Amino acid sequence: MSFQNAYLNGLMERVVSRNPAEPEFHQAVGEVLQSLDSVVTAHPVYITEGVMECLVEPERIIKFRVPWEDDAGIIHVNRGFRVQFSSAIGPYKGGLRFHPSVYEGIVKFLGFEQIFKNSLTGLPIGGGKGGADFDPKGKSDAEVMRFCQSFMSELFKYIGPDTDVPAGDIGVGGREIGYLFGQYKRLRNEFTGVLTGKGLTYGGSLARTEATGYGLCYFTDNMLRDSGRDFDGATVVISGSGNVAIYACEKATALGATVVAMSDSNGYIYDKNGIDLGLVKQLKEVERRRIRDYTLTHPQAVYHEGCRDIWQIPCHIALPCATQNELSDVSARTLIHNGCFAVAEGANMPCTPKAVAALQEAGVLFAPAKAANAGGVATSALEMSQNSMRFSWSFEEVDDKLKTIMTDLYQNAKSAAAAYGMANDLAAGANIAGFLKVADSMLAYGLV
Amino acid sequence: MNEYVERVAAQLQARYATEPEYLQSVLPWLTLIAPVVDRNPAYERLDLLTRMVEPERLVSFLVPWTDDTGAAHTCHGYRVQFNSAIGPYKGGLRFHPSVNPGIVKFLGFEQTFKNALTGLPIGGAAGGADFDPRGKSNREIMRFCQSFMIALYRYIGADTDIPAGDIGVGAREIGYLYGEYKRLTGLSESSALTGKGLTYGGSLIRQEAAGFGAVYFLARMMEDAGETLEDKRIAVSGFGNMSWGVCRKAAALGGRVVTLSGPDGYVYDPDGVATQEKFDFMAAMRHSGADRVEDYARQFGAAFYPGKKPWEVPVDVAMPCATQNELDVDDAVNLLANGVRYYVEGANMPATTPALKLLRLSPQIRAAGAKAAGSGGVAVSALEMVQNSLRYSWSRAEVDRRLRQIMSDIYDASVSAAARYSLGYDLIAGNDIAAFEKIAAAMMAQGL
Repeated sequence: MSFQNAYLNGLMERVVSRNPAEPEFHQAVGEVLQSLDSVVTAHPVYITEGVMECLVEPERIIKFRVPWEDDAGIIHVNRGFRVQFSSAIGPYKGGLRFHPSVYEGIVKFLGFEQIFKNSLTGLPIGGGKGGADFDPKGKSDAEVMRFCQSFMSELFKYIGPDTDVPAGDIGVGGREIGYLFGQYKRLRNEFTGVLTGKGLTYGGSLARTEATGYGLCYFTDNMLRDSGRDFDGATVVISGSGNVAIYACEKATALGATVVAMSDSNGYIYDKNGIDLGLVKQLKEVERRRIRDYTLTHPQAVYHEGCRDIWQIPCHIALPCATQNELSDVSARTLIHNGCFAVAEGANMPCTPKAVAALQEAGVLFAPAKAANAGGVATSALEMSQNSMRFSWSFEEVDDKLKTIMTDLYQNAKSAAAAYGMANDLAAGANIAGFLKVADSMLAYGLV
Repeated sequence: MNEYVERVAAQLQARYATEPEYLQSVLPWLTLIAPVVDRNPAYERLDLLTRMVEPERLVSFLVPWTDDTGAAHTCHGYRVQFNSAIGPYKGGLRFHPSVNPGIVKFLGFEQTFKNALTGLPIGGAAGGADFDPRGKSNREIMRFCQSFMIALYRYIGADTDIPAGDIGVGAREIGYLYGEYKRLTGLSESSALTGKGLTYGGSLIRQEAAGFGAVYFLARMMEDAGETLEDKRIAVSGFGNMSWGVCRKAAALGGRVVTLSGPDGYVYDPDGVATQEKFDFMAAMRHSGADRVEDYARQFGAAFYPGKKPWEVPVDVAMPCATQNELDVDDAVNLLANGVRYYVEGANMPATTPALKLLRLSPQIRAAGAKAAGSGGVAVSALEMVQNSLRYSWSRAEVDRRLRQIMSDIYDASVSAAARYSLGYDLIAGNDIAAFEKIAAAMMAQGL
């Protein structure tokens, strides 16, 4: 990776040599620095005052042992992590991931990205991330509870509503947040907004479940309107059938679009009459069945084994909401050929770099995950606001604020990209807009 | 009945045989929520019921103080932190010679469920001391409150436990308690106590809230039955804060409170306690500390019945607002014989178990329990916390509007829970079930 700015080349070399064997972290830093190449050249103060040097080094990393007992009485020891990356604009904030692949490099990569995403929401939240190399798959509720309790018995010393506010991520959902919160409360004897993603009975926010999918559509809607289009009458393909996909489908439909396909990890359904979302919710949220069963009650729909070919369905707007690297350059070319005019990422990094390049080259509107799926963390921050007030907003109030946040976020990313000669590159614009707020705060604090 | 429920009931009776008020509060509750336990076998696996009917923590301490002659006295203080599943502990302090662990446990238990349905994030607690404020000078009260707070302050806080007033603890005592708390902690942490004066963080409507809430609840019941308060005769017991608020709001909505009572007997005022002069006289009687209601009869030429209770007067509505167990089976029989149609509890557990059963099951009477109708005070306490957290105050009208909405929401939740369990129009069971379901969900989510 090379930069026009010579300082950035040296900085990148130092990042690689000081953080050996952490390719994900190198990649994340490289990608952000790429967007900032012309920014730091225009504002050398970020270099001379040490902002860049500080930004790539976490303020603090905590690494700890997590011993726990399984149902058979056997002892296991996992590793827990919390990276408190940047508190320049608010208390550290970012998810916890429980997955065997978790190590220091992964949490640093995620924590670094989180800084910019959080900054972009416009809310006062810094960047952090954490987790453990624990695999929740196949564990009983009781085992998950004991693991969460042991994890929190160490983590509670480092977090708090004004210090660091973790949330969920892969392997950490409502169940885990509940157990983590219960243990924190017991250890501290305090009921505060120390975690987000809580259940509605104990401090969670309405619209949190819908937030990422709704936010994706609000962002996309802004992007479409900017070029004289909208969802109304458009044909939409959505991959996935999880939270993001389901609520993206709901909102796109409400905005007048017809969603004709959805998928799960086995295959996809195509319903030219428009997806019956009530049935998808029933299958996925209630009965935990495969999407294939959609055709049992809707014979006009067609089921295809395998997921890649979902992008062969002609559509105007594609919303990849399933998983990373699910949309290749081949799929991108098919979409372009079929007249698709917008792609917005609901999942994290669903489009391969080659696919992104192909889409942008063909003039397809492209909304990168970093900006387009920020509705989730934005609503986490709104959950913190409500906890601080000791009061809850209605669904409509949260939804209205989300809408405003996504509109502002789009405008900020767009104008930042344009200001530094990268018009229409919303990914670069998101990095720049996120960076400037953090960097200017760091300048204000001096060397701390 | 459910085998698990019976086992928990038996254990409680064996362990707490010397705490009759606590058992009286918990045991009938267990029978009302048993149908929910029937449907959720998971509760037993996590021993949910034991964890719900017993307090999380009970702190007991000595409170030494000196009277104006320099003589030392020693009282016994308590704080029961009952349940923190949905928010920090919250409940009143009672200064009365009858206070003992069983009384504060009964109050903390009731408070937990009362708080749950306000829709605000507050757990359950209660506390107090066996101190008798009757006949004490201001200085003596101040010294007692200071000593009490020196013992209590380490266990409370805005995110931990927020005490308020109850019998014997009004605005004067809260002022002294808060002053000492502020001095000990060095924090101007106004939301560590509620019921504060308006000059130092109190909320408008807080004084009126308990009584207003009970009448709003009654008005909602009448609305559902196609009636209004217009020209209705109401028997009220007590003459304290709750009764004062009931008289004011009932008069404002066209009703007439015709009785008040004290330890010395009751007064009958057929014109109604409905003028500003009468409201002010009530407040003065309370502040005098004489604990006597006969003065009202003398002042306004009303009839006084020494040693009697007001439940023998023919009225449309009976509202016990004095204290626990003030209404027994004979009184309930009187109410039924006199054709009373609404029974609404202001005080905590004012009826004995058989009396309440008689009233609850009579087709002639619509009955509402204290956990629902009596929650106006704590609801506005929670709104006081919201305002303290916002560092901002709402207008009288705004607090009043929110209070009325909360009472209406509690009513709706009670009616719909009763319907879901096919109990017909049973506000008492419906209220207990709705509150239980909310706390149970939060406790199950948070694990052991």
